[in-house]
Amino acid sequence: MTTRTRLLITALVAVLLGVVAVGYTALSASDDSDDPGEVASSSTVSGPRLMVLSNGRLSTVSRSDPGGPREVTEQRCDRVYSAAGTTSCLRPVGAFKAGELAVLDATFREVRTVPLTGFPNRTRVSPSGRMVAWTLFVDGHSYAANGFSTSTGILDAKTDTLVTSLEEFTSSVDGTVTTAVDRNFWGVTFTSDDNRFYATMSTGGHRYLMEGDFAARTLRSIAKNVECPSLSPDGKRIAYKMAINNDPQQGWRLSTMDLATRAATPLAETRSVDDQPTWLDQQTIAYSIQRSDGVNDIWTVPADGTGSPAVLVPEANSPAPIG
Amino acid sequence: MSGRRAPLAVLAIGVLTAATLTVVASSDRVPTATAATSTFTPSADTYVDNSATGTNHGTSGQLGVDGSPTKRMFLKFTVSGVSGTVSSAKLRVHTDDVSGANSPAGGAFRAMTNTTWSETAVTWNNQPAVDGATLGTLGSVARNAWYEVDVTSHVAGNGTFSFGVTSTNGDGADYDSRETGATAPQLLVTTGTTPTTTTTQPPSGDPVLVGAGDISNSGSGDSATAALLDNIPGTVFTTGDNVYNDGTAAEFTNYYNPTWGRHKARTRPSPGNHDYHTSGATGYYDYFGSLAGPSGQGYYSYDLGNWHIVSLNSNISMAAGSAQEQWLRADLAANTKPCTAAYWHHPLFTSGANHAPSTATRPLFQALYDNNADLVLFGHNHQYERFAPQNPSGGLDTTRGIRTFVAGMGGASHYGFGTIRANSEVRNSDTYGVLKLTLHSNSFDWQFVPEAGKTFTDSGTTACH
Repeated sequence: MTTRTRLLITALVAVLLGVVAVGYTALSASDDSDDPGEVASSSTVSGPRLMVLSNGRLSTVSRSDPGGPREVTEQRCDRVYSAAGTTSCLRPVGAFKAGELAVLDATFREVRTVPLTGFPNRTRVSPSGRMVAWTLFVDGHSYAANGFSTSTGILDAKTDTLVTSLEEFTSSVDGTVTTAVDRNFWGVTFTSDDNRFYATMSTGGHRYLMEGDFAARTLRSIAKNVECPSLSPDGKRIAYKMAINNDPQQGWRLSTMDLATRAATPLAETRSVDDQPTWLDQQTIAYSIQRSDGVNDIWTVPADGTGSPAVLVPEANSPAPIG
Repeated sequence: MSGRRAPLAVLAIGVLTAATLTVVASSDRVPTATAATSTFTPSADTYVDNSATGTNHGTSGQLGVDGSPTKRMFLKFTVSGVSGTVSSAKLRVHTDDVSGANSPAGGAFRAMTNTTWSETAVTWNNQPAVDGATLGTLGSVARNAWYEVDVTSHVAGNGTFSFGVTSTNGDGADYDSRETGATAPQLLVTTGTTPTTTTTQPPSGDPVLVGAGDISNSGSGDSATAALLDNIPGTVFTTGDNVYNDGTAAEFTNYYNPTWGRHKARTRPSPGNHDYHTSGATGYYDYFGSLAGPSGQGYYSYDLGNWHIVSLNSNISMAAGSAQEQWLRADLAANTKPCTAAYWHHPLFTSGANHAPSTATRPLFQALYDNNADLVLFGHNHQYERFAPQNPSGGLDTTRGIRTFVAGMGGASHYGFGTIRANSEVRNSDTYGVLKLTLHSNSFDWQFVPEAGKTFTDSGTTACH
């Protein structure tokens, strides 16, 4: 939205409140041109931006005016993330084709694809842009009202190492290696060393925060009742969804955890959040909430439990801060 | 067409606008005793601009139409709750109160087929086609004034309607968008000018088909939807996953039978993947017996009034040439009823976030399309979704397309939505309910009937081919 449009809306409100027309004329005349539409149409999204999806189209909005004009690309993704010029786009499952991971460069051109089976759910890119992770729902398993199956993999784009499922890694819970067939992984987030990462593992009715080592191909549990972790820019905290009363059927409370102390802080968002949150900066968590008609909005809430939620980008989801 | 335009008022002070409009609205026609006018604001409006081809302006307070740079406006209205014949539909737009909003050419207002474009995703590059008849053209427009176009020919009744506005004049016009509130575009729909005693619609006597899928577990959702069936006569359909979690005889006894089982004698079910968690779905076939067609087969057909109804099994082979697909084609070829409906569990068209479209079902849909069927119902994703009539590839097809519904709101929890698919018209993911279909001789009415205490609903009519 341009300054002119804001002024227009302000002016309309003022008029409705009965402010005399003289004041309105003075206000609206501040930046008129003969063709007022040109002001809005010539706006381009520049400066610090947010990548979002506009109902499945990769888009960008300005960080300073996230509810304003958005650049909408032709790239179609069901979930997206971006860091350091690498964009991970989980392509939709089409009427005639299976899904895939598309890795895009800084100009949003496709540089490689990985065929995937399942329904896009989460994706992440490491801060350097080197590591890419994804989670898909997998059909044909036991899809109960209280259960589901996932498939989570990682691509090292530098060495071209592809791990199609974290089930290949050695997992341990409280120090004991587990090979349970009911293990499911979802929601990877990477540290800045392009090797360690965090993810959720579900087994035996518990959902563990796992710390992973890509080179060693290991995962170990470090906390319980943590889903979809997202590492803070300084690497010291995670934002995540915590099942209410340890029961996902009751929904999830958006929370943060100090990794050194394991102290959890529930955030001021009290609605159930089913998303992998994103850190916009050290203080701010962004996440999507879906309306009952399937339209999403991106909201933010402070990371320290204070404040209150606010809409950041209407009718959008899958936020990622980009340069 | 310029004769249709009618500048209502040119106002220097906007505060008078609402009052003036009221006067105009009640004086420019002589309403009969039963005439009712409903005013709708857009569910979406935006414009595109070929000087910023990748930019979306959906949240802007203005709408531009221009010949240079080329700007086009798109407006979408959802009309609901009107009954009777539409006697008049008028589209009203208000010009911006800024210098330059005026124009010698207010634009050509045209009908559009596409009603599923998204306000925050439309750009010049991906704009929907402005492909319908020209409904009216505005000549010179002043700033800060209301203008009106007669769109009666496009607005037939309840439903979603799109309008595109174009101009070839290099001096463009700027209108206020829905984001402005008081001066947002309006659609005024007037109905019911024939006061007769038959306006209170008596029961038509046409058959009713009512039901849902994804129904019974240990929760209370199935009790809420079964209570709706208690008050809706007719044939009950199910779109699979009748019981959770495993389709066992015990689950049918403990969960389904005390709820939807009250209506078992009038139920014609279809099986879902959870029914097939029990090998061969024996719990399902044993419970429903002959109501489910030949035991173990899972597909069968029957007639209701002027309609032929087919219940299919998406848990077994549906491939072209398979026993089921061959049976379906023979069944449809032998059908003499003018209207045809079918239902099964796995959706070919869905925006649900949990289950992708089931392409394996396409041969069944193709057979139905080839035989001019009218309606297909699915389940599997735990939600409600209505699609416009489509061909088997998912393209909008207003001639032969089949209207489809995902009716997975029978009671067993709710799922969210993913990216909303093309031609998806209405969705809901927080209300259990049943879909009531009234099968007229050459059309059908649909109605989403919500559980007690909820308000979401959806209704409409589609003619048979």
